[in-house]
Amino acid sequence: MWTYVGRRLLLAIPTLLGASIIVFAMVHLAPGDPIAAVMPAESSKAEIEATKRAYGFDKPLPVQYLVWLGRVAQGDLGRSIATRRAVILDVRDALANSLVLALSSSLLAFAGGVGLGLLAAFRQGRSLDKVASMVAVVGVSIPHYWAGIILIIVFSVQLNWLPAMGAADGGGPIEYLRHMALPTVALALIPLGVITRVVRSAALDILSQEFVLALRAKGLAGRRVFTHVVKNAAPQIFTVLGLQFGFQLGGSVLVEAVFSWPGTGYLLNLAIFQRDIPVLQGVILVLATFFVLLNLVVDLLQTLVDPRIVRH
Amino acid sequence: MRRVVILLLALVLSPSLAGVALAQGTLRIGMTASDIPYTGGQTDNGFEGFRFVGYQIYEPLIAWDLTRGDRLAPLVPGLAESWEARKDQPTKWVFKLRKGVTFHDGSPFNADAVVFSYESIKKKDAPHFDPYGSGQVSFRLASLTGITKIDDHTVEFETNKPTSFVPYQVCYMLIVSPTQWQKFKDWRKFAEQPSGTGPFRVTRFVPRERLELEANKTYWDAKRRPKIDKLVLLPLPEPTTRLAALRSGQVDWVEVPPPDAIPQLKGAGFQIVMNSYPHNWTHTLRLDKEPWSNKLVRKAANYAIDRVGICKSLLNDTCIPATGVVYKGHPWFGKPKEIYEYNPAKAKELLKQAGFDGTRHPAKAVQLISTSGSGQMLPLAMNELIQKNLKEVGIDVDLQPVEWNTLLTRWRAGFKTPENEGLNAWNISWNFLEPWSGFGRFFHSKSVVPVSVNTMPYINPEADKLIDEAERTFDVAKQNEILARLHEVVVDDAPWIFVVHDQNPRALSTKVKGFVQPQSWFVDLTAVTVR
Amino acid sequence: MAIRAVGGVGPGDSPGVVDAGRASLPPDVAPMSYWRTVAWRLARDPATLVAGGVLIVIVLSAILAPWLAPYDPSAGSIRLRLAPVGAPGHVLGTDEQGRDMLSRLLWGGRMTLVAGLTPVVVAFLVGAVLGVLAGYVGGLANTLVMRTMDIFYAFPAVLLAIAISGALGPGLPNTLISLSIVFIPRVVRVAESATVQVKGLEYIAAARASGSGVGPIVRHHLLANVLGPILVFASTQVSLSIILAAGLSFLGLGVTPPAAEWGLMLNTLRQSIYVNAVVPALPGLAIFVTSMTFNLLSDGLRDAMEIRA
Repeated sequence: MWTYVGRRLLLAIPTLLGASIIVFAMVHLAPGDPIAAVMPAESSKAEIEATKRAYGFDKPLPVQYLVWLGRVAQGDLGRSIATRRAVILDVRDALANSLVLALSSSLLAFAGGVGLGLLAAFRQGRSLDKVASMVAVVGVSIPHYWAGIILIIVFSVQLNWLPAMGAADGGGPIEYLRHMALPTVALALIPLGVITRVVRSAALDILSQEFVLALRAKGLAGRRVFTHVVKNAAPQIFTVLGLQFGFQLGGSVLVEAVFSWPGTGYLLNLAIFQRDIPVLQGVILVLATFFVLLNLVVDLLQTLVDPRIVRH
Repeated sequence: MRRVVILLLALVLSPSLAGVALAQGTLRIGMTASDIPYTGGQTDNGFEGFRFVGYQIYEPLIAWDLTRGDRLAPLVPGLAESWEARKDQPTKWVFKLRKGVTFHDGSPFNADAVVFSYESIKKKDAPHFDPYGSGQVSFRLASLTGITKIDDHTVEFETNKPTSFVPYQVCYMLIVSPTQWQKFKDWRKFAEQPSGTGPFRVTRFVPRERLELEANKTYWDAKRRPKIDKLVLLPLPEPTTRLAALRSGQVDWVEVPPPDAIPQLKGAGFQIVMNSYPHNWTHTLRLDKEPWSNKLVRKAANYAIDRVGICKSLLNDTCIPATGVVYKGHPWFGKPKEIYEYNPAKAKELLKQAGFDGTRHPAKAVQLISTSGSGQMLPLAMNELIQKNLKEVGIDVDLQPVEWNTLLTRWRAGFKTPENEGLNAWNISWNFLEPWSGFGRFFHSKSVVPVSVNTMPYINPEADKLIDEAERTFDVAKQNEILARLHEVVVDDAPWIFVVHDQNPRALSTKVKGFVQPQSWFVDLTAVTVR
Repeated sequence: MAIRAVGGVGPGDSPGVVDAGRASLPPDVAPMSYWRTVAWRLARDPATLVAGGVLIVIVLSAILAPWLAPYDPSAGSIRLRLAPVGAPGHVLGTDEQGRDMLSRLLWGGRMTLVAGLTPVVVAFLVGAVLGVLAGYVGGLANTLVMRTMDIFYAFPAVLLAIAISGALGPGLPNTLISLSIVFIPRVVRVAESATVQVKGLEYIAAARASGSGVGPIVRHHLLANVLGPILVFASTQVSLSIILAAGLSFLGLGVTPPAAEWGLMLNTLRQSIYVNAVVPALPGLAIFVTSMTFNLLSDGLRDAMEIRA
C-alpha cells in the first residue's frame, strides 16, 4: 500500500506542474504586451524595468516559465494591478473566506445528503424514498445562483431576517454567521443532491447483498444492518464528499457573485472585469494546487479505509 | 440538544443584534465603486473617489461650497485664503495659504506641503513622485507648469500661458502630508496610513471590502467639524446588492439605488434625494476612424436615441434628456442649431446620405462601457437600450464591459494603444463643473493625449479660438457668452452621442438627517447626523 | 440474471439511482437485442416517460421558436418594461427592456440548449475515442493521456471554464470551446476506466478462447460495459453543462447582450427582482426544469442499461 501512496504523491507533481503551465500561459494569451497585462498603466519607467527583469520578459518563454515558477515557489505571486498589493495577500484573505463557506456548506450537504440518502435507501420504494429522491434530483438540477437570488428575495428583502451581502461588518462571530447563512444554503443545494443520490445508491447496493437479505429475512435487521451499510458505503461517500467540497470551493464563484461574499470567487469575478491578470493567475493557481492536494488526500484516505480500492 | 439548536437558530435570526453593535453616529455608505478608492492622495475611481475619499481625507487649496442645493456649487477658499494672478506677470499666480492648519499626523500645513504635493504629481524625477496618483489627476492640471515657495504661507504657481482657468485646476490638487510620507518613503504604505487635513481621518483599511474613518476633531474649520463619529465606506458595485444592503439595514446611504425600486423605497420610508448637477452621460466617439469619422453618422446616432424612454421608463425620472454638453438653462447652453430628439426616420435618412445602407453596408462600432461607477448610472441597462435604438436605424454596436477604474485607465491612454486600437467609443460620464472640465480638456487641439484627455481627437480651429478667448477672459459674464458660442459649435459637430443628464439619486435611511444635496458631484458630510 | 455491467468507478462520476430487485427483463426471455431491451425498460419507467415528454416539448419549442414566438425577441418598447405575467399581449410579461418574455424564453432555449448540449456531445465523441484508445492500448500512451487529463481535472469545472473564457473573451464560440475542454477529461476518465475493466473480463477471454460467436457477444458486452457507462455519464453532465453555460453568461463571460439566453436573461433581470419577483425568476426556472429533465432521463437510461456507477 505504501508504494501506492508513494506513487500517488509522485504523480501529483506533474499535475501541479501542468496546472502551473496553464496558469503561466494565461498572461500570454491575453491580447497586448504581456508587460501591460501585469503592470498598472501609470507605472514609472524604473518600475517597468524592474518588473521586466523580475519576470524575465526579455528571455525565451521556457526560461520565463522557470523564473516565474521559482518566484511562485517562494510565495511571490506578483502584484495586483488594481490594489497594487501583493497578490498572495489578497488571495490568502479571500481563500480563508471561501474555505469557511465551502466547509459550512459541505457540512450542511453532508448531513442532509447522508440523512436523506439513508432514509431513501431504507424506505426504498415507499413514499419517503420518492420524496427524498425527488429532493435529490431537484438539488442537482437547480442553478445555485438562481437559488441564491430567490433566497435573498425571500429571507432578506421580504422577511428581513438575514443580511443579503458581504461578510462580517467587523461585528463579531454572530454577525459573520448571519451573513454566511444564505450563501451556505445556496451553495449546499447541488452537493446535497449529489450526496443523497450516491448514498442512496451505495446503501441500496449493500442492502441487496445476499447476506444482508438473509439477515433481514431472519429478522435480525436493525442496528447491525445499519452499521454494516454505513461502514461499507463510507468510502464512496467520502470520495463524493471530497469532490463536492472541491466543487464548492471552485463553484462558489457564482454564489459569491450573488452575495458579494469576499471569497476567491468574488475576487476572480472582479479581477476579470478589472483585467487584473496577476490576481487571476494567483487565484487560479492557488485553487488548482488546493484541488490536486485535496484529490490526493481523498484518494489516500480511501485507500486507508478500504485497501481493496486501489486506483491506477 | 433540541434547546441548543433552537437557541442557535434564534440567535442567528434575530436582526436586533445588528443594530446594537454600532457606535452612535456612524454613517455607512454603499458606493458604486467596486473597490476602495485610492487613499494615497490623488484619488482614483473618478469623482466618486473625490466625493467619499479624496475630499474627505484631504483638501485642495481652493474648495467647493457644498452647503446649499439651490445653486450650482461655487468655488470658495480651501487651504488657501486668497489667490490672484500677478498683474505684472499674468502667468504667475500667488496663493496665500491658511495659517494654523495641521495634518492628521500633527505636522503643520505650509508651503512646503503644497510644493511637495505638486511635485508628487508633476515632477517625474522627484523621489516623492507618485506615478499612480499623478496618472489620476495630472491631466486636470494641464495649465500648471511650475511652483515656487515664496515663504512658509505663500506659494506661486506658474502657468503655460495667461489663463483664467487656474482655480478650476487647482481645486483638484489634494494636499498630502510630507512628514507622513517621509516616514514610509513609499506611496503604497502611505495609502494604508494616510494623512491629510480633511474633516475625516482613516482608521481602518480593508482592501476591496471597507474603509473606516473617524471625525477629525481638530479640523481647522470649527463650523464644519463632523457631527458623526464614524464614517464607513463599502464598495457595492451591483445595484441590487446596494438596494438589499440598504433595505436590510446594513448601510444607511446608497448611491444610485435601482430606479425601479424608488417607489417602494419611498413607500418604506426611505429618503430619496435628487438634484441636478453638472453631469453628462455620453458615448465619446472616436473621430479618426469609421463610422464615427463621418459627421452625418454621428448626427444620425444622436437622432436615433429615445432619451425620453430612458429617463421616464427605464430610469424612473432620475435623469433628464441631454441634447448637448450642458443642459438647457445652464449659462453655457446658448442656441444650438441642432435639437437632437428621438427621430429614427431622420437618423436613417442621414445614414443613407452618409453611404451606410442598413443591411448591406451597416455602420459598425465597438464601444467600451463600464459595469458601474461614479456618474455611470445604470450602464448595462442603458447601453442595451442604446444598442437597440442604434440597431433599429442601421448602426451595429458591440458593447464591451469592463470595470470602472479599468475603463478610466484605458481612456486616459487614448485610442491609439494596442489594447484600445479596436475601439470606437468610450461610455464615460463627464462633468462640467468649470470650463476646463467641460470643454477645455476635450475640445482644444492642445489637449490631445497625453497632455490632457482629448482622445477623439477633436481638432477644430474655431473651438480652439473660442477656448483660448474664454481662457483669457476673467469676467464671468463675458466668459459665459463665449462658452455658449463654443457649445453651439460642439453640439453641431456632434463628437459625442449626447444621452442624458443624471439627477444624482441617492437613498438614505430615516436615521440620516441634515444632509443637503448640492448641485455638484461632491458632498459635504460634516453636517450629517445619524441617530 | 443478466450479466451485470460493472461500470468504471472514477471520482467525479455522479452515480445515479439503481433500482435493485425490480424486474429487469422483458417477460419474453428469448434473446432480444441490447438496445431493444434498453428501450423496453425506458418505456416502463413513469419518471423517464414524463421527463422525456417534457424534454421533447422543450426541444421542439426551441427548434420551432421562430414560428412559435409571438414577437421578435429583440423588439420591445421601453415603455412597456417589466409588465407582469398575464399582461395584455404578453402572457409571460416583459423584461427590463420591454421585450416579450415568452419569445425570449423560446429563443433563449435554442441558445442555452446549444451551449449546454454541444460541449457534452463534443466531449462524448472526443472523450470516448481518446479514453477507449488509452484504455485499450495501455502502457506509456495510457499514462501520457491520463496524466494530461489529470491536469485539467485538477481544475473544478467552473474555474476552468472561467479561466479559459476569461482568457479567450466572451461570446458563444469561446464558451463552447471552454466547456468542451472542461468535459472531455471527465469522459476520457470514464471511458478509459470502463475499457480497462472490460479488457480484463473473463468471459471475453473465454469467448475468444472458445472461438465461437465472438462478434455478437463482444459487441453486446462492449456496448453494455463501455459505451453504456460513457453514454450515461455524458448524459449526467448535460445538466451541469447547461448550468455552467448559463452561469458563464450570468457572469458576463458567455453570450453577450442583446442575445436571448437564459443565463444572460437571469443576470439582466436580477436587477429587477424588487419590482416584480416572478418575471426575473422565469429564466432560472427554465434552466432548472431543463436540467431536471436531463437528470431524470439520464437516471432512467442508467437504470435501463443496468449501469452501476
